[in-house]
Amino acid sequence: MAGSERTPLGRRRFLGYVGSAAAGAAAGSAGGAAWASARDPEPAPPAVPTTSEAVLSPYGPHQPGIAAPAPRVTEVVALDLLPHVDRDALGRLLRAWTGDVEALTTGRPTPGDTEPWLAEAAGVTVTVGLGPGALAAATVEGPWGFGPVPPMRHDRLQERWSGGDLVLVVGAPEGTTAAHAVRQLVRDASPFARQRWRQTGSWNGVDRAGRPVTGRNLFGQVDGTGNPAPGSDLFDRTVWVREPRWAGGTTLVVRRITMDLDLWATLTREEQERAVGRRLDDGARMHPMPPRAHALRARPAQNGGARIFRKGANYSTGEDSGLVFMSFQASVEGQFVPVQTALDQEDALNEWTTALGSAVFAVLPGFDEGDWLGSTLLS
Amino acid sequence: MTNPALRARRVRTLLPALALALTATGLAGCGDDSPDAAPDAATSSASGAITIEDPWVRATTGTEDPTMTAAFMTIDNETDEDVVLVKASSPDAGMVQLHEMAEADGTMVMQEVDGGITVKAHGGQLLQPGGYHVMLMDLTGELAPGDEVELTLEFSDGSSQEVTAPVKEFTEEEGHYHSPGTEEHSH
Repeated sequence: MAGSERTPLGRRRFLGYVGSAAAGAAAGSAGGAAWASARDPEPAPPAVPTTSEAVLSPYGPHQPGIAAPAPRVTEVVALDLLPHVDRDALGRLLRAWTGDVEALTTGRPTPGDTEPWLAEAAGVTVTVGLGPGALAAATVEGPWGFGPVPPMRHDRLQERWSGGDLVLVVGAPEGTTAAHAVRQLVRDASPFARQRWRQTGSWNGVDRAGRPVTGRNLFGQVDGTGNPAPGSDLFDRTVWVREPRWAGGTTLVVRRITMDLDLWATLTREEQERAVGRRLDDGARMHPMPPRAHALRARPAQNGGARIFRKGANYSTGEDSGLVFMSFQASVEGQFVPVQTALDQEDALNEWTTALGSAVFAVLPGFDEGDWLGSTLLS
Repeated sequence: MTNPALRARRVRTLLPALALALTATGLAGCGDDSPDAAPDAATSSASGAITIEDPWVRATTGTEDPTMTAAFMTIDNETDEDVVLVKASSPDAGMVQLHEMAEADGTMVMQEVDGGITVKAHGGQLLQPGGYHVMLMDLTGELAPGDEVELTLEFSDGSSQEVTAPVKEFTEEEGHYHSPGTEEHSH
């Protein structure tokens, strides 16, 4: 009766899937961007990914959720640090979160979880980032080009969806597991930080046969076709920071974009397709491309080569519907800002889409077993 | 992917030469059991080791007796030999014992474990509320959620592990951890 034995499943489980994790990430360019540029959909791998195949190792040079296929459920949580939190305290929080991330990623409850039955599902990812306030509290410089997103003409930003000292992006195969993971992570942060905002969305990244597809936003557009493919050189150059202390990290811009579904529905199909510059049924580019089409304005060639890697999560609440838009790039100022500025000026979609929230975070490099999130910055 | 040299921060593995040798020879004979445990020189010490997962310590803030608390974790033994956790210590506690919950006269009581906590070869052992735990007594101060506790765990094979465990709030099991010598500890 004194304690139960178990097999060391946790370690075995992810050690056994290191190889398939990489393959999953490569197949999963499905996960990304649509309102951006052009690229034919990837040929779908034949096998249906099973839950166990989706288990990623928590370890490596990068946090694994970034390049992973878009999860069915995404929760993005911003937190504000309590006033007393300094570099040492932030280190304690990140070490506690490291333990949580190791457990959640491999399908175990977080240490001290009082409802461990809610943490049985595998395939959870947790991505952790620091906002400007946390960098200041810890006296750590952000990566090169990390800075605020300047106000855009079409923005209607609200405080309740903007800013934050810390961010957690939790991906899960279904909502109960995601909600419980968020609860445990926020609970373990409570000596250090309070939740500021929380945005939840979903993504359907498989077709009826279970094969990976790019997925669609709530306008019905295939959304993410233009993304660089995870695993490619282009992806690595687009996303990962290279400077030593932040090497393997990235930056994240989270935008809450409300979408006027009712107004959109009054357009003809041709008008809808001309706004984005893609056919609705398969996402293929239109020829010729209408001059203000989103897919044209977002092309790197239109923005001095600036490119981003984007992921989306559709939201639909009692208030409105839209997209929790996440953009990953090595440099906010060098990549995200020029792309967003160009879209703000010319994008036809601005008529039906409006940013309600905006926040920037420096996403921590990955960590190896025995190490912890942020150790290269806070040690 | 796993660099043993980088394990030092949270879980430091201090394998003496003898244990390391046993581990290395043991791995060579068990390839059929775990195909993922590639037995090359770089990974053998990591995959054939005793590892501590998910350590945490219950906070004393607001508890009945803030001079004591418990540490919980999972011990994974990926070596070919059973090992016993024989001793634990911490700079934050004047006395540390290995405890179990056991039934006596129809009620569950806490008592010190005779002979330590055994972890079978290629097995794991949970230390959790209501079961085995590391009892921290004569604490040097309050342990609040967000603090950290350093633990040293010593095993029967001569190896030891240093673990940094986060202190977390936990509301269940209130009153389960009583000081030795009280009625609930009578055997």
